[in-house]
Amino acid sequence: MASGFTLWFTGLSGAGKSTLANRVQEVLLERGCKVEVLDGDVVRQNLSKGLGFSKEDRDTNIRRIGWVCHILTRNEVAAIAAAISPYRDIRDENRKLIGRFVEVYCKCDLETLKGRDPKGLYEKALRGEIANFTGVSDPYEAPLNPEVEIDTAAEDVETSLAKILTTLEAMGYIPVGDGRGYSAEEEETIKQRLRDLGYI
Amino acid sequence: MRFGRREKRRACVVGLDGVPFGLLRRLAEKGVMPRTARIIAGGGLRQMKAALPPVSSVSWSSFMTGANPGEHGIFGFTDVDPATYQLRFPFFSDLAVPTFWDKLGERGLRCCIINQPATYPARQVPGALVAGFVAIELSKSVWPREHLPALERMGYRIDVDAKVARESPDKLLDDLDATHATRRRAMTYFWEREEWDYFQFVVTGTDRLHHFLWNAVVEESDSHHARAMAYYRAVDEAVGDLWDLFHAARSGDREGEGFFMLSDHGFTAVRQEVRLNAWLREQGYLSYRTDAPATVADIAPTTRAFALDPGRIYLNTKGRFPRGCVETGDAPALRDEIAKRLRALTYNGESVISHVFLRDDIYTGPRTALGPDLVALTHPGFDPKGTTKAREVFGSTHFQGMHTWEEAFVWSGVPVPEGPVIHDLAGAIGGWLS
Repeated sequence: MASGFTLWFTGLSGAGKSTLANRVQEVLLERGCKVEVLDGDVVRQNLSKGLGFSKEDRDTNIRRIGWVCHILTRNEVAAIAAAISPYRDIRDENRKLIGRFVEVYCKCDLETLKGRDPKGLYEKALRGEIANFTGVSDPYEAPLNPEVEIDTAAEDVETSLAKILTTLEAMGYIPVGDGRGYSAEEEETIKQRLRDLGYI
Repeated sequence: MRFGRREKRRACVVGLDGVPFGLLRRLAEKGVMPRTARIIAGGGLRQMKAALPPVSSVSWSSFMTGANPGEHGIFGFTDVDPATYQLRFPFFSDLAVPTFWDKLGERGLRCCIINQPATYPARQVPGALVAGFVAIELSKSVWPREHLPALERMGYRIDVDAKVARESPDKLLDDLDATHATRRRAMTYFWEREEWDYFQFVVTGTDRLHHFLWNAVVEESDSHHARAMAYYRAVDEAVGDLWDLFHAARSGDREGEGFFMLSDHGFTAVRQEVRLNAWLREQGYLSYRTDAPATVADIAPTTRAFALDPGRIYLNTKGRFPRGCVETGDAPALRDEIAKRLRALTYNGESVISHVFLRDDIYTGPRTALGPDLVALTHPGFDPKGTTKAREVFGSTHFQGMHTWEEAFVWSGVPVPEGPVIHDLAGAIGGWLS
């Protein structure tokens, strides 16, 4: 019986996938979960080293990440993938393979992304200096029915984080409990129980 | 239960909340618990000390971590917020050290734990967990959540409704029977479904029975004695069934090896409540800002000491409490003075307090400073309370039973340390499984 799951961030470069993946990792570790992050940029330095950006290579890269997530998930790890993963059919293939799969679509308009552009990639792509650049010279197929959709142009990180955690809690994939204590109603119930048994 | 290909050691623990050593032995000898009697007949039953103070949240936290409260940070069912003196209620994630289940998980072992007090809200464990008292909602008591629908279908009950106990002993006994039956179903469900190396099943109805109907348990003339014994027979069946299942499922080990039974504290009859805040007030250490104090949040700024359940006494020290009035340098003398006066407390000429422990004598670890300055234990019959509502130091109570410290028990098929304390068992269990 597996109690792991895969949280799959998809979206254009610079949309906030890695930032959110790392933030979710922090919270899940605090809640006692075992967590691994597979960041697309990091994966391309090792597991997928040598692969390019053709459709075939991109598919291979995403299938590899999906397979590792599958192994981690069945070993009760919260696997977090943060990769552009532009093609819907390969993402859905991974969903089918993994089962306990939560897709997070990090939506962000091109104007905002061009404004962020920390690596200058959009600028180069728009000048035609980078081929097959997703969102500029290569297609991005947005999810049709993601478990979580985040507009990173409009939301701050903590708001997006809360959406993701709420979804994971509702799906029963992570323990409920935020470390801030019980609600007033829960506290009153606990008080009453303790009173009933003479403990307060 | 499904087994892997290779033979490996397993452990099974039965927790009997609040069952004293003497009572267990007596019920075994009298034939009320024949299957338990068979288990303990070959020896191995030991008297064991609970944690301090001897309440379930502290004792079970000590059991599951193998640590003392100075390390795990759980000192009672309640804590006080230093800034406001409002009560807060520690939860599972307040546990400051890993459980031994976590450590077993790091070794690739799986645990299945049913009705473990002090684990609410449930969090990830290497296997499955159903939290016990003070669990409120079943949906937050189960890890992983995929077991929730099955538990709901079987009508799993987290706990008895203690309110009915005041209305009618028979209703309480009905509720105890029904709750125990659902726990048995959960036990079977997890046994058959989960792969585990460590299985734990805790009976908490025994504690509830003792709080409300202790006389029915120990006095044959009590009108509810027969039903109380029937409940114990049902508990004995659960113990015996687990013993049989465990032995049928393993191979190679000698009988009893890997099987453990324990309680988290003892029990005895109550004669009088001892309201420690009323005593502190009477002695001039405590005053209130209001005529109707609801909690210690209502203490006046001049208060030098206050008490929380069951026998925890805190000095209102500057630095520890922002509104504290006791200078740090004056605290040791004040603490010793209160301890001395407590030891001299009598009721109709009878000594009330059996022990007064200083914090640093009983707790070690980084959380020690968060503990009470003193922990007072009483002689049997005097139940220490932290209520702020009572004006009189002594008073009657509708409860029939109270916790004791030194009369918990452990039965183990493998050696446990001499003079065992509840936090010793994690090491013994982990050692067996290594």
